[in-house]
Amino acid sequence: MTGLRLAAFALVVVALALFPFGAGNYPVKLLQEILIMGIFAMSLDLLMGYTGMVSFGHSAFFGLGGYVAALALSKSPGLMSALVLPALAAGLAALVIGFFSIRVSGVYFIMLTLAFSQMFFAYTFQVSWLGAEDGLVGIPRPRVPGWDLGSLRGFHAYLLALVTLTALGLWRLVRSPFGHVLRGIHDNEARMEALGYPVDRYKLLAFVIAGVIAGVAGSLYTQFNGSITPDAFYWKTSGEALLMVIIGGTGTLGGAMLGAAAFILLQSLVSTYTERWMLILGATFILFVLFAPGGIVGALRGRIGLRA
Amino acid sequence: MEQVTRRKFIGTAGFAAAGAAMGPWVRRAAAQSGPVKIGLVLPYSGVYAVLGESITQGMELVFARENWTVAGRKIEMIKEDDEMQPPVGIRKTEKLIDSDKVDILTGPVHSGILMGMRDKVHNSKTILIVSNAGADAISRERCSRWIFRTSFSNWQPNQPMGEWVAKNVAKDVFIAAPNYQAGKDQLGAFKETFVPAGGKLVGEDYPKLGETDYAPYLTKIRQSGAKAVYCFFSGSDAVNFVKQYDQFGLKQSIKLTGAGFLTEPDVLPAQGKSALGVITGHFYTPLLDNPTNQRFVKEFQAKFGGKMPDGFACQGYDTAEVIVRALKSVNGNTQDKARLVEVIEKSEFDSPRGRFRFDPKTHNVIQPYIYIREVKEVAGGLNNVPIDRVANVTDPGTGCTLPA
Amino acid sequence: MPADLFAQALNGLAYGVLLFLLSVGLTLIFGMLDVVNLAHGSFYMLGAYAGLSLIAATGNFWLALLAAPLAVGLIGALIERSCLRPLYRRPPLDQVLLTFGFIYLFEDLVKWIWGGRIRSIPPPDLFAGSVSLGGAIIPSYRLFVIVFGLVMAVLLYLLIERTRLGAVIRAGVFDAEMTAGMGINIHRVFTAVFAFGAALGGLSGVIAGPIQSAFPSMGVTILIPALIVVVVGGLGSLKGSLIGSLIIGQAETFGKAWLPEAAMLIIYVVMAGIVLIRPQGLFGRPLK
Repeated sequence: MTGLRLAAFALVVVALALFPFGAGNYPVKLLQEILIMGIFAMSLDLLMGYTGMVSFGHSAFFGLGGYVAALALSKSPGLMSALVLPALAAGLAALVIGFFSIRVSGVYFIMLTLAFSQMFFAYTFQVSWLGAEDGLVGIPRPRVPGWDLGSLRGFHAYLLALVTLTALGLWRLVRSPFGHVLRGIHDNEARMEALGYPVDRYKLLAFVIAGVIAGVAGSLYTQFNGSITPDAFYWKTSGEALLMVIIGGTGTLGGAMLGAAAFILLQSLVSTYTERWMLILGATFILFVLFAPGGIVGALRGRIGLRA
Repeated sequence: MEQVTRRKFIGTAGFAAAGAAMGPWVRRAAAQSGPVKIGLVLPYSGVYAVLGESITQGMELVFARENWTVAGRKIEMIKEDDEMQPPVGIRKTEKLIDSDKVDILTGPVHSGILMGMRDKVHNSKTILIVSNAGADAISRERCSRWIFRTSFSNWQPNQPMGEWVAKNVAKDVFIAAPNYQAGKDQLGAFKETFVPAGGKLVGEDYPKLGETDYAPYLTKIRQSGAKAVYCFFSGSDAVNFVKQYDQFGLKQSIKLTGAGFLTEPDVLPAQGKSALGVITGHFYTPLLDNPTNQRFVKEFQAKFGGKMPDGFACQGYDTAEVIVRALKSVNGNTQDKARLVEVIEKSEFDSPRGRFRFDPKTHNVIQPYIYIREVKEVAGGLNNVPIDRVANVTDPGTGCTLPA
Repeated sequence: MPADLFAQALNGLAYGVLLFLLSVGLTLIFGMLDVVNLAHGSFYMLGAYAGLSLIAATGNFWLALLAAPLAVGLIGALIERSCLRPLYRRPPLDQVLLTFGFIYLFEDLVKWIWGGRIRSIPPPDLFAGSVSLGGAIIPSYRLFVIVFGLVMAVLLYLLIERTRLGAVIRAGVFDAEMTAGMGINIHRVFTAVFAFGAALGGLSGVIAGPIQSAFPSMGVTILIPALIVVVVGGLGSLKGSLIGSLIIGQAETFGKAWLPEAAMLIIYVVMAGIVLIRPQGLFGRPLK
């Protein structure tokens, strides 16, 4: 990372870390939700923006991470339950689902991934051992020695640390040779094949990495709310992540976080003031598409003249 | 000199003592001069917005009658749209508790939101008066001394119907509800008294929630040999089920019965003639002839442009009545929550549904009656006409240990 | 037993035909314009509500059946010209966002104008009762839907395969650039096809109304089944849309009757199965 960008990034992280010291509980909670959905969206951007695989079933891994975390934390609230198990479960599911879904592409890939996440939804919605439509509640925060994750500030530091690490990790990934191959696949899959790359294996790996991160996001969501419901698997959750990526700017990573912020703020704040928030949200998307094609990041770059 | 000093001393001491005794009162008075904040977590968008509106209107009727003031303090309603989604509902609940610092929280419609907010409410010792969500658990193993319910538990409208249907309609019954926990709970309560009363279940089906085409299920019902159907459906499910039931010509030969939500005023207009003759159990119908209800219906229609109040409006009305009466009892003191809870627990008044009381063991309302109603054409259109009733329906409260 | 099977098969046929009417517009738009029109569910919803108002105003179902699709088609044309046309050169994701935006917009608009309550649409008096057919009892309106749908299928087939307009459309689906190169005003054809697809969506809304009623989130609810039918049948294929919806109609109906616990899943399992075995759908163009 160039010095300037590193400094800017560090500044942002510090500002976010200090946020709970100035703001009230509700804004801090909104910020935390943005951070969690932000890394969920970023993982989707890895798939969509960098590898060119548009998935409409990404919520499958988000929900799976959330439910595994809920079940594990109820039994033993430690970091193993909070992070390791959900990541493993999501990764495994991504391996299986990815193996089948990658055989197809385009609209068919979209619909197949959707089908898988809807199957998860239908299952968790109906079975009582997972709480049926009410989901699982009363989930304790993980216990880390020397750190009170039950407090607002304690959880904030924990969340911010994880999100920052994930963001940095993803950033390095897309700039690594692996990331370049992914972008090559996005640009012209046939050429990459011709060059001898095992394209399907790269795609599967990207799918699994994205799935793992989505699983961690889902787990954090459970820890944040203290509960998880089948809605985490619903196609609307996948759709919202899709929107966040597009609004922020596909293929920019940071855009996904900005898109998450825009979407959540719009939804929360607008609905407090007017009943017509859906109209405003819809109109906003439409105007965005027509007049801000690169998403938020695209618009910012246009203004400031930054290069990728 | 001594005399003056002693008098002065006694005077000063007396004044100081009086001042010390008054101190806390002065402080409390200052805290009590601000408005009483009532938070509402309800759906104001989506298909269930009609329920959110009805409940809110019931509350507004009471507060307006009191001129939006109680015990010298203004009443302020803070409404938040939960969009019928648990994550949103929990977020809004936290906003109301942490940011807005509401004195009393009310709502929600969605049982999932209720279950999700339960711990937050309990741990923050916020008084919650549940104005709709019927999850049985809130009156059972997840009850809390800070949580009251003025609406109903899913068990209440269904349990008396089991015996009633077996005795008055038919013994060969097919039951149906949407495939989710609330649906299964409601039918479970029905089965509790249906089977012991000699009833026989000839079929049991759980179509998916939000199903729009019930044809396969209706065909199964016809083929089962059932003489009656008992079901739980609400909202658009209720509309589609009842309409299609009629379209398939089943009403003539197989009597349709169900939990009250099947034919409430939010769905009756859309069902139209298809709902005629349907028998349901509910704690309320606008046609009840007690004086409180007659006044309630008149005032409600006057205030809200002729709109017919329904069970949801009654729930809102009772919620607001509980709040107003409790606040009057404690003279507007919302700081002493324990006392407020004590007073709320003892609420007793005339509600449109009958004599309103909480069960101190569960903080759930004791339904003065579950009315058995039949949809008939009356002056003003289709409505649920009471034809029978079962008194004092109290939720069993299994597993609830208060104070918790 | 055979009477039972026949009754359920009839149910499945009615539902399948309804799915066909809904998805045929979507598949044409997909195939022709390569556009992911998520707002197709909204056209269905607008059709149902327009039908509701027209019937309330005139008391005539048939008039509504004719006029509502025209109105929806007009809206479709407007959207295509103003919002969609600038996006043809842009990545398909932009179309996703645009049409997603319209989903939100239309749902709230409908709620604003007609209210959030569910509204019932009465069937025409001619078909208000039920009839007995081969031992099964079926509402006569559903019989009408079956006949209407199959007639529409034939008419559409004739339109697309046997008319000049149809030839132009087929050419456009196959290769838009070539068709433009032949001097045909491809822009007008695109607008016409989009409007036509929208009108078909609106028509299916009116037809479905007496069965499924009208509520603001009905567009969103029907979107997934429609997308599934299109994928199963094959993008852009009329035949695929028909066969696909009939298959799914039967699968859903018998699934609900025999495997109720799996009712929510069936449609996804069928689709997943077909996509894995034959990714281009039953009658779609072979991929790669």
